[in-house]
Amino acid sequence: MIRTEKILHLKNNRGRRLRVVREHYLREEVPCYSSVCQAGCPNGGKVLPGDLTHYVVPDVGVGVDYLEILEFQEMQGIIFTQTVCQAVQHSKGRRQYNRLRNLLKDPRHDCVLFSNEFQEYSYCPREKGESQEEWQTRCVYSAAVWYHNHLAGLMDIVMITQDQDTVTEYSSLNSGVYVVSVQDYLKNFWPDLQGAHELYASISLALQVKESEGKEEEYRDHLPAEVLDAGIKSGRYIQGTLNVSKHRAQTEAFVMLEGFSNKSSDIGWCVLVHGDKARNRAVHGDIVVVELLPKSEWKGKVTALTEGQGEEKSGEDERKPMATGRVVGVQQRNWRDYVVTVPPREGPQAQSRNFQRILTVPWDHRIPKIRISTQQADTLQDHRVVVRIDSWETSSLYPNGHTVRVLGRAGELDTEVQTIVVENSISVPPFSDAQLREMPLNSAENPWTVDPAQVEARLDIRQSHLVFSIDPKGCEDVDDTLSVRCLADGKLFELGVHIADVTHFVKEGSLTDLEARSRATTYYLADRRYDMLPAVLSSDLCSLLGGVDRYAMSVIWELDAHTLAVNKVWYGRTIIRSSYQLHYELAQALLNGEQVPVPELAQVSPEQKDSRLAELTQALETLTFIARHLRAQRDRGGALELEGVEVRAKLDEQKNITALVPRQPLEVHETVAECMIYANHWVARKIQETFPHQALLRRHPPPRQEFFSQLVESAKARGFNIDTTTNKTLADSLERAVDPEDSLVNRLLRMMTTQAMSEALYFSTGALTVPEFYHYGLALDCYTHFTSPIRRYADMVVHRLLTAAIAEEKALSKMLASNKEVEQMSQHINKKNRAAKRAQKLSTELFQCLFFKDRDPQSDPHCMADGIIYSIRDDGVLVFVPEYGIKAPVYLKNREGQVVMVQQDGSCERTSGTIRRHRDHISTTSACGTSTFRLFDHITVRISVSSSHCHADRIHLEIISNKPYQSSQPAQPHTEARCQLVREVVRLAEEAHQQAQQKEARRSKFSREEREFCQSKTPNLYSLLEEVRELALMDLEMVGQVCATTA
Amino acid sequence: MAGLELLSDQGYRLDGRKATEVRKVQARMGVFAQADGSAYLEQGNTKALAVVYGPHEMRGSRSRTLHDRAVINCQYSMATFSTAERKRRPHGDRKSTEMSLHLKQTFEAAVMTQLYPRSQIDIYVKILQSDGGNYSVCVNAATLAVIDAGIPMRDYVCACTVGFVDETPLADLCYAEESGGVSSLALALLPRGGQIALLQMDARLHQDHLEALIEAAMIACKGVSKVLDEVVRQHLQEVSMLTAE
Repeated sequence: MIRTEKILHLKNNRGRRLRVVREHYLREEVPCYSSVCQAGCPNGGKVLPGDLTHYVVPDVGVGVDYLEILEFQEMQGIIFTQTVCQAVQHSKGRRQYNRLRNLLKDPRHDCVLFSNEFQEYSYCPREKGESQEEWQTRCVYSAAVWYHNHLAGLMDIVMITQDQDTVTEYSSLNSGVYVVSVQDYLKNFWPDLQGAHELYASISLALQVKESEGKEEEYRDHLPAEVLDAGIKSGRYIQGTLNVSKHRAQTEAFVMLEGFSNKSSDIGWCVLVHGDKARNRAVHGDIVVVELLPKSEWKGKVTALTEGQGEEKSGEDERKPMATGRVVGVQQRNWRDYVVTVPPREGPQAQSRNFQRILTVPWDHRIPKIRISTQQADTLQDHRVVVRIDSWETSSLYPNGHTVRVLGRAGELDTEVQTIVVENSISVPPFSDAQLREMPLNSAENPWTVDPAQVEARLDIRQSHLVFSIDPKGCEDVDDTLSVRCLADGKLFELGVHIADVTHFVKEGSLTDLEARSRATTYYLADRRYDMLPAVLSSDLCSLLGGVDRYAMSVIWELDAHTLAVNKVWYGRTIIRSSYQLHYELAQALLNGEQVPVPELAQVSPEQKDSRLAELTQALETLTFIARHLRAQRDRGGALELEGVEVRAKLDEQKNITALVPRQPLEVHETVAECMIYANHWVARKIQETFPHQALLRRHPPPRQEFFSQLVESAKARGFNIDTTTNKTLADSLERAVDPEDSLVNRLLRMMTTQAMSEALYFSTGALTVPEFYHYGLALDCYTHFTSPIRRYADMVVHRLLTAAIAEEKALSKMLASNKEVEQMSQHINKKNRAAKRAQKLSTELFQCLFFKDRDPQSDPHCMADGIIYSIRDDGVLVFVPEYGIKAPVYLKNREGQVVMVQQDGSCERTSGTIRRHRDHISTTSACGTSTFRLFDHITVRISVSSSHCHADRIHLEIISNKPYQSSQPAQPHTEARCQLVREVVRLAEEAHQQAQQKEARRSKFSREEREFCQSKTPNLYSLLEEVRELALMDLEMVGQVCATTA
Repeated sequence: MAGLELLSDQGYRLDGRKATEVRKVQARMGVFAQADGSAYLEQGNTKALAVVYGPHEMRGSRSRTLHDRAVINCQYSMATFSTAERKRRPHGDRKSTEMSLHLKQTFEAAVMTQLYPRSQIDIYVKILQSDGGNYSVCVNAATLAVIDAGIPMRDYVCACTVGFVDETPLADLCYAEESGGVSSLALALLPRGGQIALLQMDARLHQDHLEALIEAAMIACKGVSKVLDEVVRQHLQEVSMLTAE
């Protein structure tokens, strides 16, 4: 018989006057997931430990309102009942429910779900006339009693509730089952868990406030979901993601449409939502439904630069109107944790109650002010606090929220960095003991050794191949090595790419793996980094260091020496020993035939040294030859310049670094990158062939043509023609668009190209059709990430796929993640990558600001710089300062209506006048004449920091002169000047180095960060700032303080 | 559409069953005296009454007569009170015509029609209460009715629907599951030989999953057949006791 013992029960639910009868099957054996279970329940998966004093059973009210408290990892032995889960799902929506589900799945968290309504003895049918709440409480209580009996009284059960009646009604019914309120529970059982107490207070205050809300309507009600769905189907409403404008957060927001099926010519791809009322309580990021307004009410987008918030521009609305709508409903809230600043109080406010309601200002401009109620209004002043939004009633102008935790005083470096981290929803707690316990040991007394069984299973190429790595100087986590050799008398080349075998150490589903998955990538901030894997792996056992045996995943090609056609590819696990750990400069020097000492050969006798050096140089040359060929192959396919795609956003900031540090892009950079691309490409092919439905690949969709308009127009201003039809024509025309006078023009054009690009994304092959796999930037039909498993989770997934592909056992493929899971995972990784990129950018900006903050803009020479105009706006221009990599607006017209006029000698002054914008230039007119600013003009700007209390500080540029800054020489002799500068920097750095040992320690730490940062194989702004700071150390003591705080 | 979670993480369905479990089946044979065979079957909350007349001479148009076997005539109908909303259900609408056709095909495959040339067998099925899996309940009820009428069959015909949710086949869908956008498949099986009498599916399903789905349906059908077998044996016992007296 396949049926289990079951009794038929009927459950009536009334809705729409329907009497629906549903069956309800009960059974005896419902697993209890407790390790002290006496009855031998089939407990699979997560089990509650037996060494606790009690188990907690939250009731429905607690589960719905106080779930956050139960999310503390310290809280152990929580039993969620099915009743609670269903209540959460019904009353709080999918988001909250998913949170609960993730909590239940998370093995780090001690909680289980008990299906109490399917258990024969814990189920209680709803009685006639019993209210839903009463019934739910009864269900939960009977589940608690069942647990107590089931565990034969070995474990005390505590049911927590918010309802005093429940406490009085049930608490004395059964011994061993206690019913207490949340507050008492926390007080008695977790007196030390301060965070939970505060959170409890803040949530309950927020709930109280919600009840006592007034009734005047500020906003219109949202329409019910059925009406919205029907409206979307009929085309009356449009659904999309709300995107609030960064610059005019008060008034402007756009709804990005999903899909283009209903695209009509006059709507375009986004709808403007103008003003608070029309936005109707939607918050940035929500999925909203909008209704289009009649055409007569359509408004235009304001393209003027506004100096500061709250400035009303009247008469600007005449601009070409675009589709405008108002929000009629919110499909899904995407509220996250927000960082807010509690503003200083203006005068004492008489508050009768013992808590206060204060309006806090979110760090993100796009988020409306949030009203919180707190008892610690005074202590919180000037602090940055993490806040969650609870609700936004129609009667309230602002949303209500509650505080979660305090980050610290505003303006302190650590607070600011934490702010960036929280704002990007990055969660990087230190690795827990349990995770570290999973790690293999490697200490001086107990060194890690190669397992003989692994040597058997792997291809041993320690003796046969010359393996070497090329990385930035002093890199710690080497995850890729190369090998190359000639076979068959030089008719064949054998190229090998060997990648650290991280998945050997990190088993799928282990705690470390879960942590790595939730982090998805290593986060590089300007002054620190958050590793994806514990240090013992990332910088030791997985790192392919020189001279030690390491496990690797290898791809080895056999190439024809002349045509470089691939004869054979081999994928597999290997054991390697890297002979040389080179850095880029050294490798390039070897290639150039310079005599440079190789550290690995220092101990070797001279004659041996020569032969080994020759061998190494030969290998490098072959490698370069192959890489050139591969590159040419891709170029024919239309590959854009690599930096132009992947790390372009970084590159524009680096521009200035090349201006200070002569880290010329060496050819060897490209050689290594090319080999990695090649490896990634071939791995992508392999896993896609083997797993056509569940391989994780990376695609780069072609950009939308309309995004290119700025690029094309700007180029036209300089007389270049950019053809954007395909990536090939784009690459070619960018190649041609070089101004011999000014090399920056080409860089700026490439920068704009990058802005137009869509983002490269991970995806599962089962989710898209084959033509969509195309990588636009690299011009490859399929691509994935395989070469950096230490710092990207996607690579680990690909490693596992490849391992399964090699094993070629169908049984194994069953265990792999399904298409749906892979797709979910890739979306998660994409999200985290985006967050990582944004956090990196924000932290760079933060340091830019720190750099300029303590300088006097009037006197300090660092604050004067050369800028280049790259875009024209209504009342100003956007300027790029190559020296510092700053992009910021310059206002030609200030609030008083004064415009910038150029004097005879080029200096600028402000007088009253008018301003006119043209396609490629902007001109100001006043009584004394007209002055014009054109695209790509060089101007001198003064850099200052406009500090803001509640938000991030911002760089402010002011135009000084329309001539290039005097210190920067004309374009041609630029390089020499640069070299001079560099020499000076180096000299100064050395002096500083000698000056104090202390400083040395700090400096080396910095350079370590920098090296880590250079993992992306590109220099970054951080090193620039470091160099500049070193310079500054000599001049100003003030900067030293900045250094000290950053250290 | 969002909303109901058809299969929870713990592996329970909406009504508390696990993925492979069939609803409770209860049946009685010989509920009417006038007919040659009759049966009443409940599968969960779906209840059906099946009545068999025949084999008898051809009625109506004699041109349909087959000289080598019997003609099977099926008629399917639903009671006005069978669903949550009371609704008049005229004879001969598309749905019930289709269902009749399917029943006919199923029983032509199972009944040994060659034993009764030039005759006709009528099978009437009425759904009294509908809660998903109407077709399979009809087939199961009709099987019992045919057995009650004493018409030889190759084997019991057992039917079951299966749906596909979260990569898992769910056996014997109830109405809430059927209406939740699940791609479902109905299968009628001659369990002893494992022959398929009818397989019907009108939803989209990836080819890779079809095999697993059919496998699950077969297992469910075999489970149903055991229950039917028991019912028949018990009925025979009762009848023989009565006749012995």
